[in-house]
Amino acid sequence: MTVVLQQGINGIVLGSLYVLVALGLTLVYGVLVQINFAHADIVTLGAFSAYFFMHGLGGGYIPSIAVALLVGGILGWLMNAAIFAPLREKGSELLPLIATIGVSVMMENAMLAWFGPIPYAFDSPYSNHVMRLGGTFITLQNALIIAVSAATIALLYAFMKFTFLGKALRAVAQDRETAGLMGINPNQLVMLTFVIASALAGMAGAMLGPVLVLTPFAGTSVIVKAFAIVIIGGFGNVEGTILAGLVVGLIESYTTQYLGPGMIDIVVFVLLLLMLAVRPTGLIAERREENV
Amino acid sequence: MTMRLRIRHIAAGVIVASVLVVASARAEDKTIKIGALLPISGPGSYFGAQDKQGIELALEQINKTGVNGRKLEVRYEDSGCSPLPATQAAKRLIEQYKPDVVIGEECSDATLAIMPLMEEANVPLLNAGSSSIKITEPGNPWTFRIMPNEVMQGVDIATNAYKRLNARTAVLLYENTNAGIGNAKVFNETFTKLGGKILADIGFGRDVNDFTSIATRIAGLGAVDVIPTYTLEGQGLKITQALAQAGVTKGGGGNAIQLGTIWLPFGFEQKAGKAALGYIRIVQFDPTDQRPAVRDFIAAFKAKYNQEPTHLHAHAYDQITLIADAIKRGASDPKSIRDALAATKNFSGVTGSAEFDKTNQNVKMDTVHYMETQPDLSWKALKWN
Amino acid sequence: MLSRRAAYLCATLTIAVLPLVFPDAYWRTNLIVCALNVMLAIGLDFVLGYAGQLNLGQSAFYGLGAYASTLLIMRLGLPFWVAFAAAVAFAGLAGIVLALFAMRLRGHYLAIASLGFAVITYQILLNWISLTQGPLGIYAIPPPPTLALPGLPPIGFRNLANLFYLVAGFALLSYLLLDQLIRSPIGETLTAIREDEVSAAALGINCAAWKVFAFGVGSAVAGAAGCFYAAFVGTLVPDAFFITESFTILAMVVVGGTGTLIGPVWGAILLTVLPELLRGIGDLRLVVYGVALTLVVLFIPGGLAQAARLALARLRRAEAP
Repeated sequence: MTVVLQQGINGIVLGSLYVLVALGLTLVYGVLVQINFAHADIVTLGAFSAYFFMHGLGGGYIPSIAVALLVGGILGWLMNAAIFAPLREKGSELLPLIATIGVSVMMENAMLAWFGPIPYAFDSPYSNHVMRLGGTFITLQNALIIAVSAATIALLYAFMKFTFLGKALRAVAQDRETAGLMGINPNQLVMLTFVIASALAGMAGAMLGPVLVLTPFAGTSVIVKAFAIVIIGGFGNVEGTILAGLVVGLIESYTTQYLGPGMIDIVVFVLLLLMLAVRPTGLIAERREENV
Repeated sequence: MTMRLRIRHIAAGVIVASVLVVASARAEDKTIKIGALLPISGPGSYFGAQDKQGIELALEQINKTGVNGRKLEVRYEDSGCSPLPATQAAKRLIEQYKPDVVIGEECSDATLAIMPLMEEANVPLLNAGSSSIKITEPGNPWTFRIMPNEVMQGVDIATNAYKRLNARTAVLLYENTNAGIGNAKVFNETFTKLGGKILADIGFGRDVNDFTSIATRIAGLGAVDVIPTYTLEGQGLKITQALAQAGVTKGGGGNAIQLGTIWLPFGFEQKAGKAALGYIRIVQFDPTDQRPAVRDFIAAFKAKYNQEPTHLHAHAYDQITLIADAIKRGASDPKSIRDALAATKNFSGVTGSAEFDKTNQNVKMDTVHYMETQPDLSWKALKWN
Repeated sequence: MLSRRAAYLCATLTIAVLPLVFPDAYWRTNLIVCALNVMLAIGLDFVLGYAGQLNLGQSAFYGLGAYASTLLIMRLGLPFWVAFAAAVAFAGLAGIVLALFAMRLRGHYLAIASLGFAVITYQILLNWISLTQGPLGIYAIPPPPTLALPGLPPIGFRNLANLFYLVAGFALLSYLLLDQLIRSPIGETLTAIREDEVSAAALGINCAAWKVFAFGVGSAVAGAAGCFYAAFVGTLVPDAFFITESFTILAMVVVGGTGTLIGPVWGAILLTVLPELLRGIGDLRLVVYGVALTLVVLFIPGGLAQAARLALARLRRAEAP
């Protein structure tokens, strides 16, 4: 049945989309044990940066992804320097989260005042190019999303496992004090984490710009599900996030097929609550257990 | 009488006369205060921004000479497209500005919330953006609507689909809002009563971005003749592209025709590309209309804003010109404006003509224009009304 | 410092006088919204500031209270105050259910779980159209019925001043109730849980039970606010209870000061009135909102309450030689 197969493909595309957004969140949580509510807005701003680079400055699509990556990285640097670092001194668990809520409200409404509410039609050269095989189809843009998602995951994995910086990051995630004693500067590494995570978010924005309805609220349409994915997969656990992202994507496409789009959020969040009740550490058991 | 005394008398007379002239001119120079309750912040600000442009153009043109010696003035308040902010904005407007007439809102929920306030304050409300039947059906004497409501549009397009397009199967696609659900329901009832069959009824939230799954589901349903689609431009664009990608609609090599009745402005095709081929929709503003009033409006709009006007601009423009028409017929305060609006005949706006029935709904069907998207992405007017 | 009794008297007098200071409908509407937000804020503060649980689901309880009472009144024809009591109990029960469910969770997990609860509630209100009318909305909701007290002329609640007195009165009552709870041994228990849950458990405190209790109380207060919201606005749509509402209430609590009960009252008033005063600058007023929240968290995490205390301390130091 081609419909079932096609919905499977659609689900993987959606999943890759969510993973791109959720990766940054999970990275930040893994190393800093912090949730950044403004992550969604970095995605949105990344999308707008790419859009204006292409349509305002006449740049190409691929370079615009690099631009978005840069913009995301800079925003991450700013947020860490201005918010997370100072609050870390105070040792509060919830204050940084609340601060990021404030930043999110600020960014969204600033974008609204700046860009306006009318959706921007962001077309990449690939968004309308359709590839067909058998009875199934996929647009080149969506195929690109899957490819970039996979590549990012692979690169991240390699980085964490094989490079010195990556190992240092994992050390800081496990035990910050001891890592400090080992000669690693935890603050610099934390900053690096933030910058990488936000750069990823910016890049995700550039990839998603052609797919999302591009308004200042574009990021928020994805972020709540991204949070759900991060929890279902296990906070701070990259493999879990990937698995959960794909699962949620598939749930979305099959729910649309057999129930209806209105039920998607309910199904996903009931799953989230079930996971929290039954297995709060996530799909793949994770080392950090203090919040349970 | 000495010369000096005579001059003094004449001077006094001139002064008194000029004072009288100025005084009487001032008495005539009353401005008509128009309140505008529009969504200026939040996701609905899409509407408010465009409405304002249309209003400003109309004001500019009318105030060059005024109407019956009066100028029109507008004060904007942000009603946010939802009941509580709309209620607050309406109260602020009524208390502080004391308008003679109010135009607004765009979103049905907000309009329904402010209607009782207008009635209580005895100020006429002129609406051109909300399609819910609940706005006029109960028969509120102070609320007027110039755009065709969801029943007028829905019955008309469903009947035309069955009779002129020979459609027998349909899939309903709509956003989960008052307007979306209401419009889909009317199509459903009319179409099934004529003998057509609804193969699927798919409602989606305003936060859905990817429509490939929905398009896939429709593709799996077999032969579909028409797909009535009720949603805003942002999601509408994605739907049209997804349906073409899935090979369902004409733009993608299939046979289904998308039908629409709300909110897809001219310029949509340029964004959707080939995918929009064959789209038939009701629009409340026909930019190919050859009437001189419409040509003049488009020219003036382009000159002022350097863009093509949408139906939002046109509706806002018509609201002001209709009020000016009421003033021309002698109205000058809330009650007389209300009465003049109710008695409107022979008014021709850029969206069509206006004549209100007992429930203050404009019943002229020439406000319902049908357009079909051509292969070169232009609009062809189908003269179905 | 004023004694507590004097403070309450002050508050009562202020409430009595406010509608007289603001005789127009626009500002009276704002006063009522203030009172509603005060209830929501102190309800959340009880859970967050005193029990230490970050509950992002307050919008859900607000909505459940509103819909429950409205449906009971309009579908079953129950009298207002009966529906009110039932809706408050229902919201409280929902809070207890969430707490029971999230019993083992803390910190961020609890926050996200409560957010998930808020999302699900919103989606149910939106999609269960046969019950709630969903986005079609419920209209013409009547205000509370006219009170006929012996010896007094009948008090109608279409009159905004009277409605304000009613809502503000309930806000004051809620404040009193929560204040009493906090000053009792229960308050100490909750504070112990907030400061260090492990040690509290070691002391023999049943942390889970008390967390459930705190949630129940906080959500019941939110539910009460919901009932008044419906009767006041007269129109009910699910969008009024979207999750951003939870963030707004959180902002009020944090800006006001989480560790105190009076702080959130000021936070609620400030963050209700500020956007109205800033209407002149249009879109940017919501940016100011976000900026205010961020700056407070960064520089005065104790909120207005802390700022007030610091200012008073500075004054006293200036007075003393």
